[in-house]
Amino acid sequence: MPEALDSINLGFLSDSERELVLDVLRRDEELRLVEEQRVRKLKTELQEVKRKGAKLGSGNYSEHSCGRCQEPLSRLTVFSNQCKMCNHYVCRSCQTFLPNGSWLCSVCTKESDIKKRTGDWFYDQRINRFSGAPGHNLVRASLKKRPPAKKRETIGETLLRSVENNTNPFKPVPLPRQKVQTATISQSKENLGSIASRESFESKTNVSSKPTHSDTESAENTSIVSGKTETESGRATPEQPRAHNSVPSSPTGSSVSSLTVPMKADIVHTDSGNSNSSAPVLQVKPADLSLELEVDRLFKKSIKRAPKPTECLSTLDLRDGCEAPAASMGHRSRSVPGLDVQEDEDEEEDIDRLVSFHKLSMAKSSSSLQSSKGTLGSLMSIYSESGDFDSVEVSGDVVFSVSYDEHTQSLYVLIKACHDLAHGDASRQLSNPYVKCYLLPDKSRQSKRKTSIKKKTTNPVYNETLKYTISRSLLATRSVLISVWHHGRLSRNTFLGEVEVALDYRDLDSSSESCMRLLAKAASVVQPSAFAQYKGELVISLKYVTHKKTTEKVKGKKSSTEEGGELHVLIKEAKNLTAIKGSTSDSFVKGYLFPTKSKTTKKKSAVVKKSLNPQYNSTFVYKELTLEQLKEMCLELTVWDREAMLSNEFLGGVRLSSGKGIIKVEKEEVVLDSAGEEVSLWQMMMQYPDSWAEGTLTLRSTMGKTKNK
Amino acid sequence: MGTFFISTVITMTDGDYDYLIKLLALGDSGVGKTTFLYRYTDNKFNPKFITTVGIDFREKRVVYTASNPNGTATGKTFKVHLQLWDTAGQERFRSLTTAFFRDAMGFLLMFDLTSQQSFLNVRNWMSQLQANAYCENPDIVLVGNKADLADQREVQEKQAKELADKYGIPYFETSAATGAEVDKAVITLLDLVMKRMEQCVDKPPADSANGNGATKLEASQPSEKKCAC
Repeated sequence: MPEALDSINLGFLSDSERELVLDVLRRDEELRLVEEQRVRKLKTELQEVKRKGAKLGSGNYSEHSCGRCQEPLSRLTVFSNQCKMCNHYVCRSCQTFLPNGSWLCSVCTKESDIKKRTGDWFYDQRINRFSGAPGHNLVRASLKKRPPAKKRETIGETLLRSVENNTNPFKPVPLPRQKVQTATISQSKENLGSIASRESFESKTNVSSKPTHSDTESAENTSIVSGKTETESGRATPEQPRAHNSVPSSPTGSSVSSLTVPMKADIVHTDSGNSNSSAPVLQVKPADLSLELEVDRLFKKSIKRAPKPTECLSTLDLRDGCEAPAASMGHRSRSVPGLDVQEDEDEEEDIDRLVSFHKLSMAKSSSSLQSSKGTLGSLMSIYSESGDFDSVEVSGDVVFSVSYDEHTQSLYVLIKACHDLAHGDASRQLSNPYVKCYLLPDKSRQSKRKTSIKKKTTNPVYNETLKYTISRSLLATRSVLISVWHHGRLSRNTFLGEVEVALDYRDLDSSSESCMRLLAKAASVVQPSAFAQYKGELVISLKYVTHKKTTEKVKGKKSSTEEGGELHVLIKEAKNLTAIKGSTSDSFVKGYLFPTKSKTTKKKSAVVKKSLNPQYNSTFVYKELTLEQLKEMCLELTVWDREAMLSNEFLGGVRLSSGKGIIKVEKEEVVLDSAGEEVSLWQMMMQYPDSWAEGTLTLRSTMGKTKNK
Repeated sequence: MGTFFISTVITMTDGDYDYLIKLLALGDSGVGKTTFLYRYTDNKFNPKFITTVGIDFREKRVVYTASNPNGTATGKTFKVHLQLWDTAGQERFRSLTTAFFRDAMGFLLMFDLTSQQSFLNVRNWMSQLQANAYCENPDIVLVGNKADLADQREVQEKQAKELADKYGIPYFETSAATGAEVDKAVITLLDLVMKRMEQCVDKPPADSANGNGATKLEASQPSEKKCAC
């Protein structure tokens, strides 16, 4: 029974909590049974009515008789008496009037009535949500040849059934057995956890040669799951390290994947390390996995988790499928450092420079700027363009309108004119202005649009429309950056000012004109707080591993952890990230444990490609820490979109700490401005050593210091 | 509203009702979802904070009087069995609770008027809904609870109203302690769901067949709210 709930990542529930949830599910079942009976009765009624109203669908009838009761229709009434639902001509007595004054024939009335009463209106729509719009889901469904999910099935039903199918001796089997089982699991979890903290290879092979737990475990479970082997083996592939499986990992799974990102080890190490360890995992929890799949299947069938994400997930799935044979050959073949790994290393400096650049400028900027979203966004554009342009004192304004066209799925930015621009060429007192536009956060060339260049004027009139093809649902997280530039024919271009227009509050249906004052770079955007802009979420687990657990390691190794425990940070996944490349991003997570900002505290996850809901499942381990020290420390995790040729794009970040105080990091100061869940998770980690504290944190749109909060 | 309700106490195990409507309450931990529903179904208040484990539900049977578009009652009454799902606001149950979003026909998105943070999180809940509900623009009512704690209020009515308007959804300030507006909030949601149901079904197939995709949550297009079936 516990396994079933694990399947939607509920391993953390205690026995009593599971019981409570199951009670609820059983109550739900009672209600469902009553409802099923009622629905059956209604559907029989409908059959009855349909049989009476004979001509349905046959088309073999005279236009001059009623489509329902067969009575002849008078010539006059024929054309005004067509049911608008089924297009049959029916007599007066077979018409039923609706509250809104229109009418339908008796059969159609009954049909729609039944549709309402049975709730089919709802279930039809729900099932449409996954099978209707996105073609890739269909593709995937056909590829995997899954049986169609039952339309009316609810999650409660599924959960309960999976529980009872798999441990149907729910009542007969005495509690102790469950207890034992969970105990073993947690024990092995602990083992894995502690092993995870080790670096050496021997210790890892140790894991796989620890058959006692896993064997008993699997023996016990296989008896429960017999007949599910097929799905299990199918499941085995996605469980590979760095696999982008879309299944929420259970805690046990996660502690396994936490097999160290060793301090200085490169990614090749990590890969092979994980491949060693992934075997025992699969042995430990076969039951879980199969169930997981079952629920997972249901999810994929009928829930579209998020509009964009599914798209990415399915792409990944397909790719996983292709890789399957390779994976079975072992990961060593894959662990040849790929392009991405190397590029990663190259970029590190880039990112670091960006962050420190950002921090520096944040520190220097005036207090009014500190609370603004002077963010990486605009600062990075300074960075990337710095040295590339001259700048003058900004003046004037720009007249434009932004509208969205549903039919063409396009956003139109109409640049009308500018007034009173500064002189781009100060010596000659003239400007050759043009307007450049980006649909942020995409700052790549793909997002760049330009107007023509107007010669020798500070009041240019453009009336040019810049078009972006983008689906409407993506717009809320976007903004339009309109900047005005002087085109220096021989010299450099000069920045004349910019405005940023967030699209989430804007009425895009009326193309009303805006006239906005041009601003200098850094000050162009003002955002009240770092959390004001929704950047998605990051799901992480924290665990402080105390000294005791880690000492029973390899005897010979003089443990350097004697002084304290370890902080394990499991980066599980991110949700609803901002799309940078079209509708996806290639993201990774970077972590620092302040106050030390050296290579030893910098950790990075692998890059997960083409997903806005990436599953990282990588663990950062920080060693030799005492709880006392942790109280004064700050864990900063930032999510980045990896750009091959350009600078990486900041997607959001979190800062975990006690929420009070300031720490010095090298020459900068970091304000421990953690709030809400950031604080509570950090505290939970310290409060309950040796157990995972999991949380979903809202990503900040900026890591800059904010004054209030 | 043009809708009248008389709550009746019937033995709830029979199938003698016309519609089963499933609603779901969501929002941050501690905003008062459980007490709100308890007040609605039993008209009682429990000031103790007992955190909900994962999920729960309560039931209530009401009589719904259908109304014409012009607001006058048609006289037709229906027995509606309400299944009101209660979800844990706590983070650790998130994967379980969001899974239940798909089974609900309407949502009570709640926040605590005395907690700015719970109000800020409304936006996150909205996106959770958009991702996990049966369609992209389900019927939602925004509920600011604990209106009785006037001296501790952190969220102004105007602020919340603005947000609700942005999403094109109704907003109510309720108090599970006093019972103020509790019924009204649920009834309004039920009315929205019933209206949507009518709209969904009593429409010629040409219009309803696979429409041009649901309107999205973010945009404020209350008037365009149409069913996407």
